[in-house]
Order: sequence, then C-alpha cells, then structure tokens
Amino acid sequence: MSEALIVADALTKEFAGFAAVLDVTFALPQGSRTALLGGNGAGKTTLLEVLVRLASPTRGTSRVGPADVDEVERRTAVGYLGDRPMLYEELTPLENLDFFSRLYNRPDEARVEELLRAVGLWTRRHSTTATLSRGFHQRLGMARALVHAPSVLLLDEPETGLDVAAVELLDATMLMAPGLTVLASTHRLDRIDHWCDGVLRLDRGRLVEDTASRATVTPPTAATGGAGGAQ
Amino acid sequence: MNAALAVIRKDLRVVWRDRVGWLTTGAFATASVLTYTFAFDLVSGDVRPLLPGVLWTTFLFAGIFASSQAFQREVEQGTLDAMLISPVPASVVFLAKVLSSVMALLVIEVALLVLATILFDTTLITLELTLIVLVGTAGYVSLTTLLSTMGSQLNSRAMILPVLALPLLVPMLIGAVRATGAALDLPAGTAPWTLLLVVFAAWSSLAGALLFPLAVER
Repeated sequence: MSEALIVADALTKEFAGFAAVLDVTFALPQGSRTALLGGNGAGKTTLLEVLVRLASPTRGTSRVGPADVDEVERRTAVGYLGDRPMLYEELTPLENLDFFSRLYNRPDEARVEELLRAVGLWTRRHSTTATLSRGFHQRLGMARALVHAPSVLLLDEPETGLDVAAVELLDATMLMAPGLTVLASTHRLDRIDHWCDGVLRLDRGRLVEDTASRATVTPPTAATGGAGGAQ
Repeated sequence: MNAALAVIRKDLRVVWRDRVGWLTTGAFATASVLTYTFAFDLVSGDVRPLLPGVLWTTFLFAGIFASSQAFQREVEQGTLDAMLISPVPASVVFLAKVLSSVMALLVIEVALLVLATILFDTTLITLELTLIVLVGTAGYVSLTTLLSTMGSQLNSRAMILPVLALPLLVPMLIGAVRATGAALDLPAGTAPWTLLLVVFAAWSSLAGALLFPLAVER
C-alpha cells in the first residue's frame, strides 16, 4: 500500500451546532482518484474546505499532502478548484496563471502555456477574463489549480457550467499529470468511471460509503510539526 | 517577499483595469472639494483653518469607499480564498493588499492636493504634508481593510464598516487634522500630532496583520 496523501481522522465541522461534516475518517493513497458523492447539503463542499484549510475543523484532524514535509511545502503540494473558478475578472488568462504561479513561488512560462493550450484558451490568452464564457472560466479555474504542479488536487463539482466536450477536456486535463492524487465532488455519476478508482459517499455529513481508503497513514515526524494536526 | 510583490503588482494592475471604481472615488473626492469651495467665502475670509478638515473628511470617505470595494470584490470572486490556501502567510497577503491600496489612493489624494492648492490658493504640495497624507492613509486603509474582512463574513457587511470603522478612526482623524494644520502653520497646540499619526498607522498595520488570519477563519 502507498502512503496516504489525503487523510481525515474523526473530522467534524459544525456551524452553530449543526454538523455539516460528522466524524469522517478516511485515508486516500498517493495517485488515487476518488469521487466524493452525496446529495445537496451532504457536506461535500464543507469537507473539501476543511481539507484545503479554508475552514477549521470543530473536532478531529486532517492532512492533505505528504506527511514528512513542512507547512509551506504541504500547501504548495495542493491544488484546489472550489465552487467558483477563483479568478481575477480584470486580468487576462495569461496574467491570472502568471500571478498564481508566482504566489506559489513557481513562475514557469512554459507550464502556463502548456496549461492554457490544454484547456483551449491559448488563443484567448490576452482577452480579459470577464469576457470569457462560464465554461471557459471553469476551464481556466482548472488551469489555475494546476499551475504550480501540485501533487494533490481537490475539486468541488468541477464540471459545473461545462458542456460535454469541455467535461471530456477537463477529464483529460486531470489525467495529464501522472501520479496526481485527486478528490473531486461530483453529481455526474455517468462520468466517474472515466477517471475515478474509488468513491467516498456522504449523507447528511456522515461518511456512508468508502471504497477508496487503501492507504497507510505515515506518522508525523517531530521536524514537520505533525501530520495529524488539525488543519 | 516575491509573493508580496506579486500581490502588489497584481492589485495595481487590477486597479488600472477597473478604472471605473477608482474614477468614481476620484469624482466623489473632486465633487467634495468643489462643494467646499462654493460653501466658503474665498474672497474675503481666511479659509486656511478649514483646509485640514476639508482634506481629511474627503480623503477618509473616498478612501474607505475605495478600499472596502476593492476588498469586497476579492471576496466575491473567491480570489481571496485562492490566496489564503497558498503557502503565502495571510499576514503577508494583508500587508501587500494594504500597500497596494495606499499606493492607488495616494494618486487620488495627491491629485486632490493639487486641485485644492488651485482652488484655495494655498500651497498644499509640500514634502511634509505629503508624508502626513501617506502615514494617515496607511493608518485608515489598514483598519478598514481588516474591518472589511470581518464584515465580509456577515450578512450585515454594509453596516459593520461605518459602525466599527468611524469610531476607531477618530484618534487618527484628530491626529491627521492637527498635523496637517501644523504643516500649514496653523495653531495646532504643542501635542506631537505627527507622532500620534505614526503610532496609529503602526498600531493599525500591526493589529491588522496579526488579526487578519483570525478574521478570515471560518
């Protein structure tokens, strides 16, 4: 079994006494591609936000990224596409990707060009992002999440606003990074066979199905500050 | 450091592209100063004692509007979240955003000083006055940026900024008005007003940098 790159241990997130995520435990191995399933309000977005450290857990711990690295490296290892593309509307696609690559201290013009070509936006690289369609926004959001070459990718319903061709392109973009560990929430059950090899299913905040956890959890070393620390 | 420079450069580029929002701020500031010139008797009366108040009420209201709008847009586009999940510490993101807002506002404020110099026939473009404006702007932008962050988590976001910011900005406003008066050779008492302004700017920047990570936590 390979090392776990996405780990949750008794993870709980409450809002004003309401448990959006309740006692969730799993360990996803390096290189796995997992679909996060569940109806509206099941807790998928909240779980992803806690994992990516946009929200702090009420109880429990989690880790995304390798166990034996420091906090900066661990954050650099994670790419995230939330329920919005997280882009500057006033900037061009080229400027957006250039900015985010610099934010991760990984400026790489060749990588930016490769991603813009992969998502079909190279010819519109100098257009203002605000002028792009919703589908192109989502494609560019995907490129933003990948621009710093993360080893873990967390996606929140990435196919939102995309047509069939764009969804296929998104799948291809996701698969273009070999070894990438992916956890993606989705409602598109018809497509998960194309890219995923395991499923986590949430129901009212509880994990009710897990066919994805097959990893060993590496214990933290003192030097890295603890892999199991609450994020 | 590289990341902070990237945030500042990106912010200034966004300000330049989103000229409508900042032109609105400039137009508001210009209209305010023009209104004051019509309200005062510029021919027979000495209006210099009124100038510090005129300048700082205009700077403050125009600045609060502009900096909170800029920050709100970051929240709505989700780009603030994108920065917060990066390896760059939240405090660095905060300070970089404050710096870029101060730079953009200084352009408007210096233009306003030039306009007021012409309209009030008083020299307002001096190094001392420009430094006072710079320090005062850094002080109120730090505080309003922090409060905008706290407000962005609430439904009553439109209320929290004026309700919380204006009382907290009173010491800065007193220091700025008095220091500006002293720079114009007006009676301003013996208190070290410029020092008070510097202390306020340092306090609000430091408090903002320390509290920002907590303010963005969900």
